[in-house]
Amino acid sequence: MDSQINAAARLLATGDPLGALQRVALRSDAPALALRGTAMAQLGDLRAAAELLTRAHATFETDEALSRARCVLALAEVALALRDFSFEPARLQDAAATLKQHGDHNNALLAELLNARRRLLLGDIAGALSATHNLRFNGAPEALIGLTRLIQAQIAIRQIRGAEAELRLSEASAHSKASGIAALSLEIQRALSVLHSPAGRLVEAETQREVTLTQVEQLFQEPALLVDACRRQLRHAGMVINLSRRPILFSLLLHLAKSVDRTATRTDLVQEVFGSALMNDSYRARLRVEVGRLRKLLAPIATVTATAEGFKLEPHDTSLAVRVLLPPLWGSHPDILALLSDGQTWSASAIANALGKSQRSVQRALAQLAKQADVVPEGVGPARRWVSASLAPIATALLLPLHRD
Amino acid sequence: MKNPTTPPSESLKAEPTITTVDVPIHQELGPFKGAKKALGVSVAGDAIWYATGDSIVSLNPSEGTPRQRLDVKADAGTAFDGTYLYQLTDATIQKIDPETGEVLSRIPAPAEGRDSGMAWAEGSLWVGEYRAGKIHRIDPKTGKVLAVIHSDRFVTGVAWHQGELWHGAHHGERSELCRIEQDGRVQERLRLPEGITVAGVDIDAHGHFLCGGGDSGKIRIVKRPGER
Repeated sequence: MDSQINAAARLLATGDPLGALQRVALRSDAPALALRGTAMAQLGDLRAAAELLTRAHATFETDEALSRARCVLALAEVALALRDFSFEPARLQDAAATLKQHGDHNNALLAELLNARRRLLLGDIAGALSATHNLRFNGAPEALIGLTRLIQAQIAIRQIRGAEAELRLSEASAHSKASGIAALSLEIQRALSVLHSPAGRLVEAETQREVTLTQVEQLFQEPALLVDACRRQLRHAGMVINLSRRPILFSLLLHLAKSVDRTATRTDLVQEVFGSALMNDSYRARLRVEVGRLRKLLAPIATVTATAEGFKLEPHDTSLAVRVLLPPLWGSHPDILALLSDGQTWSASAIANALGKSQRSVQRALAQLAKQADVVPEGVGPARRWVSASLAPIATALLLPLHRD
Repeated sequence: MKNPTTPPSESLKAEPTITTVDVPIHQELGPFKGAKKALGVSVAGDAIWYATGDSIVSLNPSEGTPRQRLDVKADAGTAFDGTYLYQLTDATIQKIDPETGEVLSRIPAPAEGRDSGMAWAEGSLWVGEYRAGKIHRIDPKTGKVLAVIHSDRFVTGVAWHQGELWHGAHHGERSELCRIEQDGRVQERLRLPEGITVAGVDIDAHGHFLCGGGDSGKIRIVKRPGER
């Protein structure tokens, strides 16, 4: 391009977006608009960045395909930071193809990484995996390799593979240091502190202790009966039974497993499972029905014995440990808080998208969380967004959905 | 000298149209470590100097390897008057002693930073203005604009060789090398292969084009058609 644009780009590359803006603030030709947009994004004003980049895209001539593709790439990156999932993946794919065609392999690689990030945020772990598979790094800058390793670490965390996550993060760290990009190093540091935070609380034989992700990974492989209250699953001998769609049954299992000697009174069970302080024949009958269902489910592994006071969970193998894995936070809507712990602002629809829930249920949950001062709203009406009130990073691996159904 | 400010459209009416000739890349040099870009290019005696953004690097032409590095910011065109280097940096042109790397003086760039390629000839600097498709002829001491040439393309590199004025061009996603008269009439057009960017141009003693490859960091050598 021209000397001033190149000077501004040079300043951007050394992490001086204000210096870059000073060079081109008064210009409204296409390359200057693109540069101003990129600088604004680096300065954190994402809305201004989106507006400038959109103008740049429209101002470039139709045959300046490479420049336009780079604008689309920047717009996709800004949309992701804004947690705007309405940005069509097809637009980014087209831009990636154009970038490859014109030999801009570094930006083509960045497009693939953005695709992977978007899928990860939406809980599409398989999609994120395939997007980071077979990437080529010929002469790619350290920052891009570092970002790839970070995303691979984040995927490993969602897959509860703690050892792999550690490895990827240490690789990411090395590349990030070499790149000298502070924002990337910060994100990696954050991911490391999340990895080392308690991912859950383990309850076994009346004791409770915090466990890290790596320890959870280990637990999943051990021969015990594990009741996972984070994902509402039952694990035994490598087998996983998903009870997220059977909340009553799960609740019954959970409370039996948590109780002393795995015995709970009928009154306690009716309270915990049906939410009623009242005990009558109707509840007694309902409880019997649910216990029957639970017996059927557990038949190969354990049985549920009736006692004078209540019910007891008894594994066939009396030496088998029974463990309960609780979320690291025990409060309302830990999955929403987990999502917001990335420090970005999210709209209710984006949260609904990422968790696979209805927007109405998310809005109800947000209202409750706002009352508890766990989240803070910004803006009004359709522009309303939500942000976590807490700055502490939360170990989110067990709280976020593993796949989309 | 003809009036250099005649717009090309009028003078082209009586002229036969020229054909565009596709030319291959003869050789590529680089990219070299620490030189991520190749913006301006200038042949200076037995060295090829080129602007890398953060510095100006000289190559040993027979070996095609880096020889010297000047710690001067270099954003676009590079020129040589036989003794000194001239370098476009931001919205200025810096005069540099290639032996020491010292910046001796500065003048404002004629297009206030919208400048691209640069060449030295006949006591003047000839500076391209990218999107306006112009070449400014300026006084190297004061920066005063002496004449303006209008081309019909975006102007990237600028080069003079044996009385001929050439400029790098960008048109319809392809890069070209165009020979023009000072009244803007195009005499020859060479089109480079797809995906090749030309940021700066100069011509060596053999008449070969040396093209700075922009973000690729490469220097590409192109021969005129019909040459061995």
